[in-house]
Amino acid sequence: MKERHWIVCVKAVVLDAAAGPARRTAANSILNPFDAPALALAFDLRRILGGTVTTVSMGPPAAGPVLRETLALGADRAVLLCDPAMAGADTVATAAVLAAAVGQLSPVDLILFGTRSADSDTGQVGAQTATALRLPLVADVQTLVWHDGRCRVTRDCDGFLETYDLDFPAALTVRPEAAATGDLALGRLEAAFAGQGPHVWDLNRLGLSPGAAGQAGSPTVVRQLTPVGQRKTCRFIEGDDAAKADELVRRLVDGGLIG
Amino acid sequence: MKIELTDKHIVLRRTVRSFADREIRPIAAAIDQEARFPWEVVEKMARLGYFGIQTPRELDGAGMDSLSYALIVEELSRASAGIGLCIAVHNSVALYPLLTFGSEAQKRRWVPPLARGERIGAFCLTEPNAGSDAAGIEATAVADGDGYRVNANKVFVTNGAVADVCLLFVRTGTTGGKEDISVVVAERETPGFAVGDLEDLCGMRANPVSSIRLCDCRVPAFNLLGRPGMGLQIGLAALDTGRVGIAAQALGIAQAALDESLRYARQRRQFGQPLARHQAIQMMIADMATRVDAARLMVYRAAALKDDGRPFGTQAAMAKLFASETATAVTDLAVQIHGGYGYSKAYPVERYYRDARVTRIYEGTSEVHRMVIARGVLG
Ligand SMILES: Cc1cc2nc3c(=O)[nH]c(=O)nc-3n(C[C@H](O)[C@H](O)[C@H](O)COP(=O)(O)OP(=O)(O)OC[C@H]3O[C@@H](n4cnc5c(N)ncnc54)[C@H](O)[C@@H]3O)c2cc1C
Repeated sequence: MKERHWIVCVKAVVLDAAAGPARRTAANSILNPFDAPALALAFDLRRILGGTVTTVSMGPPAAGPVLRETLALGADRAVLLCDPAMAGADTVATAAVLAAAVGQLSPVDLILFGTRSADSDTGQVGAQTATALRLPLVADVQTLVWHDGRCRVTRDCDGFLETYDLDFPAALTVRPEAAATGDLALGRLEAAFAGQGPHVWDLNRLGLSPGAAGQAGSPTVVRQLTPVGQRKTCRFIEGDDAAKADELVRRLVDGGLIG
Repeated sequence: MKIELTDKHIVLRRTVRSFADREIRPIAAAIDQEARFPWEVVEKMARLGYFGIQTPRELDGAGMDSLSYALIVEELSRASAGIGLCIAVHNSVALYPLLTFGSEAQKRRWVPPLARGERIGAFCLTEPNAGSDAAGIEATAVADGDGYRVNANKVFVTNGAVADVCLLFVRTGTTGGKEDISVVVAERETPGFAVGDLEDLCGMRANPVSSIRLCDCRVPAFNLLGRPGMGLQIGLAALDTGRVGIAAQALGIAQAALDESLRYARQRRQFGQPLARHQAIQMMIADMATRVDAARLMVYRAAALKDDGRPFGTQAAMAKLFASETATAVTDLAVQIHGGYGYSKAYPVERYYRDARVTRIYEGTSEVHRMVIARGVLG
């Protein structure tokens, strides 16, 4: 049987989002916390079914240390997709670059994504990459089990639990509860930084034209970003504890905040 | 000269900080108040390599450099100085002499379990009548058959109540001079080895600092570290490295006090504005931040010199002196900025204040450090 291959797409996100476009450095970039469970799920799959885990990230050189971190956490190989012409990408252009990379890394069994990124929060890249690759996608996966030789995943949707059996290759976006993330051991961190780092692929290596990537390949035009002031009000609820709890629940239900 | 963190150090700092924030900070006040050694966290730290930071990989350590060690101790101490102390002492003054002066057989026997954190190390120099004057120790190891009979009364042993492997400074000769002093390794299981009561300390209460007594304890000749009479040389080398750790610990405490003060000064309002708008408070904050920054540069420089294989003893002593005096000054100002709340256990700054104080005392007092520095400077 051929060896399994699990690809996890990860993003280096900016720790403290600045007001304007932020320059990413090693010091202010972290592994997108929503990607860590996808990586952990890939490790679970490798433990059960064998194979190798590759992490892929499109980003500036400052994303390199984040990929090293994925190596320290246990990835077998990391690829940084890095080219000045990739800058300013929207989700479509990002997906185009990731899809090209997956194409070159194929064969692949499963491509895993976080549900969204902590700094842009669109939640679109996983779905758009799967679309670009013409692969089936299950979004917001909560559990994954290996069942009768097939991959069974569940997702919660509007109060219904959906269960899918998937054939490989396929793509998933993974919710944080799907896999337990582990702490990074110091020895592995040291080894990852002493060993070979991520492979770095530019547009040329991906066989993409500059027009397909970065700002040039992005149909989205951001006209303006305006911070919205939050209006907070405070109401006090009177009465004994039981009455206060009842009143609080009633107001939350009335406000449509809980069902 | 460049004192700059590499990508590895940056990722390491973030890794340790997030571990400490998640696992240690939430229990830091409780383990201080209950004087409890938090095994549940210590066991996790052992699995993650915190007990073998600079131990080579082939001896089951993480194989990291001194700057990494300093960053780790700083970040742990920022959450709980008592935990930072446990890690600092175990990695430096307990493990370092074994790695540097131990024979291959000794290293293979003691280092891997220590590096894996399955056993905890301690450094036993201080006695009731010998503190700053290390050459004044009275503990003895008398040749007896194929080993030694050891009698010792060691006090203020960091990690004492949980220590399995103790580096014990003893007299192996009878001249009464420095050339008598040697180091033997004493293990907890040895008959005659007894842990005394916990010291009831002002700070560092999460660390089980205690006395250790050995009464006619038979220790095999194998357990002698280096040669007879090398004790002070081993002790001084250990303390040179240890200083980087204690300096990093003081730095971590000072940073925690500064963090807490910034938060409080922005949020607490008096006379119609946040404390941070009052110039008197701004002056305090400026002094605190400046001292912390200077201490950090000194600590990282001492570690970087060591990593480069260059002489670092005087710089490490300067870093320890300056960082510990910074920690006491900065935690004092932090209490001041918090007013009455700073003096209450409702806020962590009173703990920082108590924890900081001892950094000017242990592993050589400030006075002893000034002597060391003066020797380095005057030649
Ligand atoms: C929490 C804690 C943990 C500790 N952990 C350890 C440990 O793990 N292992 C260990 O061996 N010890 C440990 N110690 C002991 C510590 O290292 C000693 O307390 C320290 O070295 C000072 O010794 P002393 O207390 O006997 O003070 P003394 O030496 O009696 O000093 C008293 C005062 O006199 C000053 N002084 C002494 N000699 C001179 C001189 N020649 N010139 C000018 N001033 C001088 C000192 O600076 C100090 O101000 C620990 C102590 C504490 C509080």
